[in-house]
Amino acid sequence: MTDPPDFIPISEPGTAGASGGVPYGRPVNEVNPGLVGLAPMPQVRTFPLSFTGTSAEFFRIWIVNVALSVVTLGLYTPWARVRTRQYFYGNTWVDGHNFEYTANPWALLRGYLLVAALFGTYNAAMQFQFQGWEWVVGIVVGLFVLLYPWLVRQSLRFLARSTVHRGLHFSFQGSLGQAYVTYGLANVAAGFVGLALPWAWFMQRRYQVEGVHYGQASGRFRGDVGPFFIFGLTGLGLTLGGVILLLGLGLLGFGLFSALDLGSLADWEDLSAASMTGIVAALATAYLVFLLVYLGAWQYVRAATMKYVLNNVELGGVVRLGATFSPWRLVWITLSNTAAQLLTLGLLTPWAAVRRMNYLAPHIQVRAIADLDDFTAEMGQQESALGEAATELLDINLGF
Amino acid sequence: MTEGLNLKIEGIYFDGHSSRNRAALLQVVGEQVLLQVQPDGPLSALEERWQVSDLRIEPPLGRIRRIVKLPGGGRFETPDDAAISRLEAGTTRNRGLGRVRHIESRWSLTLAALAALGVFTWGFLTYGLPALARQAAAATPRSVLASFDREAIKLLDNGEFMGPSRLSAARQAQLQQQFRQVRDWAGGAYPYTLLLRDGKPQKAGGRGFSIGANAFALPNGTVVMTDQLVALAGSDRELMGVLAHETGHVTHRHALSSVYQGLGLSLLGVALTGDLVSATSFAAAVPTTLLSNGYSRRAETQSDEVAGAYMMQAYGTTSPLRRILARLEKDDLKATEDSIQDAGRAEDMLNTHPGTKQRIEHLRAIEEQGKPTP
Repeated sequence: MTDPPDFIPISEPGTAGASGGVPYGRPVNEVNPGLVGLAPMPQVRTFPLSFTGTSAEFFRIWIVNVALSVVTLGLYTPWARVRTRQYFYGNTWVDGHNFEYTANPWALLRGYLLVAALFGTYNAAMQFQFQGWEWVVGIVVGLFVLLYPWLVRQSLRFLARSTVHRGLHFSFQGSLGQAYVTYGLANVAAGFVGLALPWAWFMQRRYQVEGVHYGQASGRFRGDVGPFFIFGLTGLGLTLGGVILLLGLGLLGFGLFSALDLGSLADWEDLSAASMTGIVAALATAYLVFLLVYLGAWQYVRAATMKYVLNNVELGGVVRLGATFSPWRLVWITLSNTAAQLLTLGLLTPWAAVRRMNYLAPHIQVRAIADLDDFTAEMGQQESALGEAATELLDINLGF
Repeated sequence: MTEGLNLKIEGIYFDGHSSRNRAALLQVVGEQVLLQVQPDGPLSALEERWQVSDLRIEPPLGRIRRIVKLPGGGRFETPDDAAISRLEAGTTRNRGLGRVRHIESRWSLTLAALAALGVFTWGFLTYGLPALARQAAAATPRSVLASFDREAIKLLDNGEFMGPSRLSAARQAQLQQQFRQVRDWAGGAYPYTLLLRDGKPQKAGGRGFSIGANAFALPNGTVVMTDQLVALAGSDRELMGVLAHETGHVTHRHALSSVYQGLGLSLLGVALTGDLVSATSFAAAVPTTLLSNGYSRRAETQSDEVAGAYMMQAYGTTSPLRRILARLEKDDLKATEDSIQDAGRAEDMLNTHPGTKQRIEHLRAIEEQGKPTP
């Protein structure tokens, strides 16, 4: 304790920096040596994302997360969430640097408990129907509906604030008024007129992208509403096509069935166990196929939207994102992932998440005309975790 | 604790104001920390000193590079996990999550956690949850039970499910008279009342379904029995057996327990899936239903035991209850208990009641045990 600190002198400034002094990352200013803003012809450089997580490693993290969450009756859930995010952020790299998720699990726990308490009150009121339960349900639902856009905005702020890259925070600065327009008004409009739904998606994505700031650089969305309609209608067409196909097959099957078994059909009670099993199996199969078609169509809409949005994001006028993945390939990955997860009672969930990320990451690029180390910070304050807790627990889809 | 520390950690430094990384060296000797940062571009070299206690070390996770948050918003990142781990050990930081990472990094411990998860879930579902639900049900105040009964009767008597009994006043009085004996035997100081009702919807075209031959108990001792059940019975002893079974549900507070069990199941679902909504989704509904059917079958068995005990005391045999169970199963006055077939195993899983065959055998066993040994 009393010994004077015995520090080892560091090598002379300037000598180590040029050669091997940087432990990783690219050599400093290789392309644009310190002349930012002066270079007459900006050179576009492309940095693909890379993902270094492995399913074996993530499986172990995941299973420990689940075990601890269950044994603590859910109290560990915020830590589980944070560690999962941290794993994916920490293993996603751009230009030699990874991302970091910095959310404080204690803040999340407070938010979770508050949301869970409200949800519990609502459920208890529905279950027990005690004196005045209608009021309780009304107040909880009313609060949720009124605060929904605010919660979404809080969640976006928290998510952005908790994301760090190269030592700089992201932040979300979309206005509250816009939140009520995009997540309130647009959703209500889409509820009345289904065709307004793609417009709502467009408004929401634009709100998300334009609100994002990285340091002092702000996001801009260059996309248009048209493609959202195309994606939405494609999804609708796929679902309807699936339903028509299923109905046709069902009618065919029923026709065959009645032709074979006409006598006993009149008396439902007398149906033999075998044909009963047959009917149940056929209905179950039809239901499963319908779910598959629906899931596929919906996943297509999500994947196509994601690709389009990524291709139209601009940050600070110097960075653009690019996406080269195939939406259909992503649909296939999601569907086969879901099947694998169902067949293994969820045990392949970590493998599925890593597989998806392994496909996505190399197909997303950051294209920059300035060096990625020229962003500067903007001061910001901590964000409340309530919105994040609400969107996570209530499974609100932010569409990221 | 930090006396023995002497660490030299290479990494990179971000000042928190710029996205520019600079090579840095973090040295820890005892309580003292020295950070030396090399210059890069417009940023000059930097040298700062702190106490170890000023540093915040982010908890470890997998092979992700370690982050030390510095006073003043700067950060030091390093792939040298071993050195940071020594620093953590020396300063007793991140012990909980450090242990979690220790488990996560070993297959044997991870698989042990998986096994522990399985054992815990099984134990919780088989013993923990039913016991907790029983405790909670026993602790629920009578006023809650009373409001349950009040609301349920209001709903049932709106005409969509059943109507007033068509039995003669004399017959009704006779049944009420006999029910008093069951009630006095059941005990528990519940305000038992027997409601006789017609099991057909009174309103034509209502959304209700026909309850038919049935009897059920509400939590606070209201027992409802339909005319159709009375008509199906060969003797009043059979009906009293059914009513004794219903009082078993009341004294054991089965209805409330099932509410609490449902809450517990959804809590477990939330913990497993991580959100409130998936836990109430269709995929989660199937296992939840199967499990609660299992609890319900157990409750029925327990009530059959109560009914069996009453039958043995009042009549010395459980055969009237067995007969009416057989009739209910076949919905046929002439059915006998021997005509009941065993249900399939899969079908059994989907039922809220145990198979009638099993119930009859259970009641027979009660009779065998209850008979005085010759």
